[in-house]
Amino acid sequence: MRQRPWLGPAVTLVVAVALWFYPNLVDAAGWPIFYLLFAYTVFFWVTQASSWNLFTGFSGYFSFGQGAFYGVGVYALGVLVVKRGWPLLPTFVVGGLLASVLGLFIGLVVFRLRRLRGEIFALMTLAVAFVLGAVARISPTIDGGQGIPLSSVPTPDALGTHPQMIFRLGLITAVLAVVVVQVVQNSRLGWGLFSIRDDEDVAETLGVPTFRFKMIALGLTSFLAGLSGAVHALQVSYVTIEEVFNIRVPLMVILMSILGGTRHWMGPVLGALVVHTMSDRLNRAGLEAVSDIIVGALLILMIVAIKEGLYLRMRERPLVTAIGAAVGVAAGFVLGPLDSAVTHLAYTLLGAVLGAMVPVGRRRRPQSGAPATQTIEEVVGG
Amino acid sequence: MSLWTQSIVSGLLSGGIYAMMSLGMSLSWGVLKIINLAHFSFILLSGYFTYQLAFSYGWDPFAAILVCVPVFALAGMALQWAFDKLRVSEFESLLLTFGLFIIFESIASTVWTADFRRMDTVQNPYQSQSVWLGDIALPVPQLAAFVVAVIVAFGTRYLMEKTDFGRAVRALSQDRDVARAFGIDPHRVAMRLAGLAAAFAAIAGVFIAMSRALWPGLAVEWFGIVFSVVILGGLGSTLGTLIAAVIIGFVGGVATVVGGPPMAPLAIFLVLIATLLFRPQGIMGRSSI
Repeated sequence: MRQRPWLGPAVTLVVAVALWFYPNLVDAAGWPIFYLLFAYTVFFWVTQASSWNLFTGFSGYFSFGQGAFYGVGVYALGVLVVKRGWPLLPTFVVGGLLASVLGLFIGLVVFRLRRLRGEIFALMTLAVAFVLGAVARISPTIDGGQGIPLSSVPTPDALGTHPQMIFRLGLITAVLAVVVVQVVQNSRLGWGLFSIRDDEDVAETLGVPTFRFKMIALGLTSFLAGLSGAVHALQVSYVTIEEVFNIRVPLMVILMSILGGTRHWMGPVLGALVVHTMSDRLNRAGLEAVSDIIVGALLILMIVAIKEGLYLRMRERPLVTAIGAAVGVAAGFVLGPLDSAVTHLAYTLLGAVLGAMVPVGRRRRPQSGAPATQTIEEVVGG
Repeated sequence: MSLWTQSIVSGLLSGGIYAMMSLGMSLSWGVLKIINLAHFSFILLSGYFTYQLAFSYGWDPFAAILVCVPVFALAGMALQWAFDKLRVSEFESLLLTFGLFIIFESIASTVWTADFRRMDTVQNPYQSQSVWLGDIALPVPQLAAFVVAVIVAFGTRYLMEKTDFGRAVRALSQDRDVARAFGIDPHRVAMRLAGLAAAFAAIAGVFIAMSRALWPGLAVEWFGIVFSVVILGGLGSTLGTLIAAVIIGFVGGVATVVGGPPMAPLAIFLVLIATLLFRPQGIMGRSSI
C-alpha cells in the first residue's frame, strides 16, 4: 500500500467511471428509481463519514461538528441560490468554503490551548451546531425561523433527470472525498496526523508541525462536509433549522466510521454502506422507534468489543467473512420475500458483518491470577 | 427599566439550575476524567420521573427528590463500575456515553412522546408562586433551585476540603498511583463520586421539571450551557462552577432582553470562546479541589 500510493485513487476512479453509467442501466432495465436514490444516499453518507474520518480518525481529535459543517453547506445553498439567485455549481464550492471557515475558526480557538485540547475540541464542536441553529433563527437573511423551500431550485439538464443528476452529483462528491482521504492517508500529512493521534507531545518534539497539520486536515474535513451538505440540499425539498442542526448527522458518521474502522480509508466507506442499508430496511419495516436504540447500542458494542473496526477485522479473516456473506445470500432466498435488491444486500452485509464478528481465532486471554501478564496487557491495551 | 431588572434577576436565578446541572459534570470530568454525556440524560429522565410521579400519583414535586436522587445515584455508580471494568479512556467515555445518551433520548421519546410535558398548577403549585422583592418577582422553583445549588456547592466544597473522602478524591486526581500506594481504593472512591455527580443531576432534573415544560430534545440544548459553565468555572472547581453558572445565567438574561430568547445561546457561546481564548483554565484558576 505504502509503495503504491496511486493504486487506491486509481481503483476508486475506475469504479467511479463504471458507476457513472449506473443510471443508464437502471433506466434501460426498468428498475425502480428508488435504486438511484438509495445509491445516492449511500454516496452522501460515504462522503460525510469519510470527511469526518479524515480529521477525527487520523488525528484522534474527536469531532461532533459534522452536523454544523453539513448544515452550513445546506444553508449556503438555500440562502445563496434560492434567496439570492446565485448559479448552482459555484455555490456548492462556496458552501464547502464557508464550512471550512467555520472549521478553521474552531481550530484557531481550540488548538492554541495547551491542556485538554482534545476534550475541549470535542465539546466545542458539540455546542456549535446548536449555536448555529440559534444564529439562523435570529437572522431573517438566513432563515428567521421560517425554513427555506428548495423544490424550485433550477438544475442543470446535462446530468440527466433529477434522480440521475442527484446520483451523479453524489457520486462526484463521494469520489472526491474518498480520493482526498486516500491521498492524505499515504502522504506526509497523513503520517503526521497519525503521529498526533499516537502522542501529540512527542510528535511536536520530533518536529511534526502539529498545528498546521491539524488546521489543514480540519479545513479539508469541513470543506468536504459543507460541499456534500450543499449537494444534499437539492435532495431535500424544505430546509428547517430543526432538521439540519441536530445531532443526527454527527451520530451517524461517528457510528459509521467507528463501525467500519477509523484507521483506514475503507472503514467509513464500508460503515456507511452497512449502516445506511440496515437503517433503511429497519425504517421500511416500521421500526424507526427501535432503530435509534440499536444505533446507540451498536456504538457502545463497537467501542467495548471491536475497537479496530469491521474493515480490518474482515481483512484479517476473509474466509469467515465470505462464509457469512454466503449464508446471508442464502438466508435472503430462504427468508424472502425479496421484494427489493436492497433487502438482499442487507442480508448479505449482515451475514458478512456477523461472520467477521464471530469470535474465532481470538487472541488467548491472559489467565486470571497472573499479575505479570495482566500488567503487560494493561500497558499494551491502554 | 423594570423589564430589565426583572430579566436580569431571573437570569441570575436560572444560574442556580445551571450550577446544579454543571456541578456533577465538572466533578466527573475534572476528577474522574470521564466526560459523561449520560449526565444530561440523567437530568432529563429525572425531570420526567418528577413529572410522572406528580401526574400519576399526585406527588409533590419536591418529594420526587426522595425517589430520583437514590435512583440516579445508583445508576451513576453502576455506570462508573462498568467504566472501571472496561477500563475506558477519556475519549472512549465520551463515545460510550454518547451511545447511552442516544438510547436514553429515544427511550424518553418513546415513553413520553415528543410533545411538551408540563405539570399543571394543581400538581405543581409552585410554578405560579413567587416571592416578591419590591416589584421584582422571584419564582419559587428557580429560587429554591438557587438556594439548593448554593448549599450543594458549599457542601461539596466542605466535603472535598475537610473529609477523608475529599482528601482521597484530591489525592486520586493528583496522582492515581501514589494515592493507590497509600491505600486508597480508586474504584470505590470513583464510584462514590460518580454517585454524587448523578445525584446532583437528579436534583437538577426535579427543579427543571418544576420550572418548565419537558421534551426529549431539551437535553441537546443543555450541552452548550453546561459546557460553558464547566469551562468558565474551571474543571473540578465547585465554587468556580457556582460563580460561572451565575455569570452565564446573567449573560443569558441580558441577551434575552436585548435580542430575544434565541440570542441567549449565542451570547453564552461568545463567553465560552472568550474564556478559551483568554483564560482557558477558568475563573478559579487551577482547580481548587
